[in-house]
Amino acid sequence: MWVIYTLNALYFAALLFLTSLGLNIILGVMGILNLAHGSLYAIGAFMAAWTIIHIVTKAPVFFLYVSLLSGLVLAGVVGFLMEKSLIRAMYKRTLEYQLLLTFGALLLLEDVIKMIWGGQAYYASAPFDLLGKVDVFGNVYPIYFLFVMFITFLAGLFIWFFMGRTKLGIMLRAISLDREMATGLGLDIGRLSTFAFVLGSGLAGLAGALVVPTTPALLGIGMEPLILAFIVVVVGGLGSLKGALVGALLVGFTRSFGIAIFPEIELPLLFLIAGIILVVKPQGLFGR
Amino acid sequence: MIKNQRWIAYAVIFIILLFVPRLLSIHDLMLFEYGLTFAIVGLGFNLLLGYTGLLSFGHGAYFAVGAYTVGMIAKYLPGAYSLEILIPAALFFSLILSIIFGFLCVRHTKIFFSILTLSLSMLLFALLFKLYHLTGGSDGLRVPLPTLLGISFKGIRRPEFLSGTYYYFLLVLFAVSCVIMRGIVSSPFGKALQAIRDNEVRAELIGIRVRRYRLYAFIISGLFVGLGGALWSFVNGHVTADLSHWVFSGEIVYMTLLGGFGIFEGPIIGAILFTYLKLYAMGNTQYWMFVIGATLIVLVLLLPNGIAGAFASLGAKLMRKKSV
Amino acid sequence: MGATAVSVGSLGAAGKAIGQPKKPIPTTPVKIATVSFLTGAAAAPFGIPGYNTFMMCADVINKEGGILGRKIELLSKDEAGGVDAQVKLCRKLVLEDKVDVVLGYISSASCQAILPLADELGGLIIAYDCGTHELMEGAKSPYEVPKFKLGFRSKAHLGIDNIGLALVIKKYFPKIKTIAGINPDYAWGRESWQIFEVAMKKLMPQVEVVKTLWPPLGNTDYTAHISALMGAKPDIVHSSLWGGDAVTYTKQAMGMGFFKNIKMAYSRGEPYPQEVGKDFPEEQIICCAGTHYFLYPPHDKSPLNKWFVTEYNKRFGKYPTYPCYHAYQAIYAYKYAVEKAAKAVGGWPEIDDIAKAAVGLSFKTPSGTLTIREDHNAIEDVLVGFTKLTPKYPFPILDPKRLEVFPASQVNAPVGIKTVDWINSWK
Repeated sequence: MWVIYTLNALYFAALLFLTSLGLNIILGVMGILNLAHGSLYAIGAFMAAWTIIHIVTKAPVFFLYVSLLSGLVLAGVVGFLMEKSLIRAMYKRTLEYQLLLTFGALLLLEDVIKMIWGGQAYYASAPFDLLGKVDVFGNVYPIYFLFVMFITFLAGLFIWFFMGRTKLGIMLRAISLDREMATGLGLDIGRLSTFAFVLGSGLAGLAGALVVPTTPALLGIGMEPLILAFIVVVVGGLGSLKGALVGALLVGFTRSFGIAIFPEIELPLLFLIAGIILVVKPQGLFGR
Repeated sequence: MIKNQRWIAYAVIFIILLFVPRLLSIHDLMLFEYGLTFAIVGLGFNLLLGYTGLLSFGHGAYFAVGAYTVGMIAKYLPGAYSLEILIPAALFFSLILSIIFGFLCVRHTKIFFSILTLSLSMLLFALLFKLYHLTGGSDGLRVPLPTLLGISFKGIRRPEFLSGTYYYFLLVLFAVSCVIMRGIVSSPFGKALQAIRDNEVRAELIGIRVRRYRLYAFIISGLFVGLGGALWSFVNGHVTADLSHWVFSGEIVYMTLLGGFGIFEGPIIGAILFTYLKLYAMGNTQYWMFVIGATLIVLVLLLPNGIAGAFASLGAKLMRKKSV
Repeated sequence: MGATAVSVGSLGAAGKAIGQPKKPIPTTPVKIATVSFLTGAAAAPFGIPGYNTFMMCADVINKEGGILGRKIELLSKDEAGGVDAQVKLCRKLVLEDKVDVVLGYISSASCQAILPLADELGGLIIAYDCGTHELMEGAKSPYEVPKFKLGFRSKAHLGIDNIGLALVIKKYFPKIKTIAGINPDYAWGRESWQIFEVAMKKLMPQVEVVKTLWPPLGNTDYTAHISALMGAKPDIVHSSLWGGDAVTYTKQAMGMGFFKNIKMAYSRGEPYPQEVGKDFPEEQIICCAGTHYFLYPPHDKSPLNKWFVTEYNKRFGKYPTYPCYHAYQAIYAYKYAVEKAAKAVGGWPEIDDIAKAAVGLSFKTPSGTLTIREDHNAIEDVLVGFTKLTPKYPFPILDPKRLEVFPASQVNAPVGIKTVDWINSWK
């Protein structure tokens, strides 16, 4: 049973990590808190669900999993459009405007999603059903959850490698550390910022896409992940990927074991953890 | 010279407002009262945003505290349910919360300040929501008609209460809030806040205790917002946990921007306008969020100084033309 | 089709015969405002089915001549935006738009905030889908009725679902030892569990509650909860989860082998076998929020249900679920109340007349009969069934051999008595 509790914790942590990853990248590189992050998550979810529903009887099984990426792609596209039209205009302005713009985008996108996909629920459980279950020490566990953890691991690995080892990634990190100096060194801030925003948006969309096989895409699906991503960012420290990972694991394990022992705990627990961290270390675990 | 003109204008507006119950229908009057309570909220919020340069995305928390003080006293201490006790009680609890949250938040600035205020208000939201047996949870609490200085309003309905005694009570408190806030922003303290907003380092160098002043501004703004929340609760008749949700706080920011946070009167105008904007959007289309979101985006891109700000710059342009 | 309780033709003669001041029936449309969630998570399971049904019924009524000859003009509004926005919207609808009646409200928070407005503003409000038993109950038993002179609810409250479940469990599983609960952490979940727990304590005092879980609304990861429940080894688990949450929970539980040893009792589970499809486990206990089920009463026994299901399916491509039946009840409650009142006063009735006529109103619905009592709450029978796969449908239906219907008197508290007190008074 403890093995299952651990797996549950890892699954929750994986989704939490992936959801906050995009937010953190945008925050770190551009200093922008994208309040529409949940909307991009939702767009990823709806797109993936819609795609799966339409190809489920027509395409080979492998494509069902590839079609999850459609969520990532559409979210990235929307992020690109957002950055080019709105965020771009705000670089010279102050923080208030950036936050308000993304807040406006959140409201707008919520209804755009409704205009495109309507108010009904989209069930796309084929990827979940097809992978079946595995026996873990006498208990049954869905293989799809392991798949999600694997994808998240890959995403995390990719980002770690990208940020640390590739030229593009190092440039992004440079911007996040010292924007002025980076400009002075000749980096194309504009292009790089767009790239960072698209990357962050795509990751949000991927997170949304990965949940639809187990939960229907519904209006408002992005609201809770946004808050959860915030908490992880607060706990882990702004812009810190290591912090996001540790924060996600901390929250995931406390929640999974906590629910078994103190059933009332749930959401306030996450805020409690955040609160304790903030009192002890105000900039988060690994923040600057 | 200008200062006196301004006070004369205020006095004239106040006198006009006294006659509003005769000019508006009951429905419009109740709507206007929502606007007035949010105007008080906006004044308080703008002390922190416009004058001190701190953007809080969690001011709904103080609004909720003010409103829930009223709701809880109605439920648990009905004997104390009169305005002369309720308003000070609401102020008291808003004070406590803004001291606690303010202390945690003013150590930080900019993005982190915004995130932190958001998170703290969501913590309060989670608590209000969860402690169902105490706070009514998601169902919230009912706000019956209070008594005032011994006068009971039993037997009359809320619209009559709101269009009668309560309107004047609200109007007086609104006027008092305006006067007090005007005094604050014109005082040396107010000037110091603006100095902090414009250049934190220089302010520190000339001896202003930045963090402490920020805390004071935070607390004062919390008090005003809590007062607004308490006054609002009688107009609405019901309080729910989503008053502390970050989206509600976002609406407070929206209103302030709509009116213009660079001008003293901006938030007042913004509050009244937003009340109408949201209601008419909801009344006319199911895509009201699109309307509100699009309006916000257009506002930020084209009228960043808000409506009052736009008028002010227009006025300044005309003045310049005149003098040339 | 569509049923008419009062034939229009008799009104003219009756009105003239009484000799009261006659208000001629206007020829302008009667404005009906409907408010339900058109955005957010409650849109798909409740708001939109309700909205669809209101539209369908208004269309059908208009085709048959309208209400006393007046066509219905429907104003459909979104219940989202927060409770304060709803209060403002309701005031606008009643005072500015001058609608004749407001039908709506799914969330208990909305109902709690809005129903008092009926008397405040002098407008008729009929709540159609909210479940809280506290809405019309007073602080103590016995309490005065009605709580709101012009506010009504055209359905029974959540008491019937949870009492019904307890009665079924006692009948079919008298030997179980342990139960648990997983309910969404807000008023709806808390109240549903409260009634169920009180009823179970009364009916089967030997049964122990081994776990109660409270996931937040909109939670998408129930794995921790499912494991916790499995670890506690209950015989039956009660849940008032709804919408996407119910489906998510069931699917994840299916994946984790939950149903091998544990049975679920869903207090409002009627829509979910259809949503999950043929994989939905058999032998689960499902309550229908009344007797609202597309197959009950059987179509050969209820032509009205047959018509309702066929017409809804024709227009919207799905079988109607309980919010649809609730919407039908609300709009027809208004229609029949108006017709009954018109018969009494001659001409178009005033709001007070309609309110008076609504008390004691009893009419046939696709699910059976609905009666509105003097506490302005409606009472209904409740249907609880067991899921079973049949070749005819691509999802489990309720086993026709074990459809347990409890009459309204057995599951609704008497007028003026709080539900909890009433349960505790059972012998």
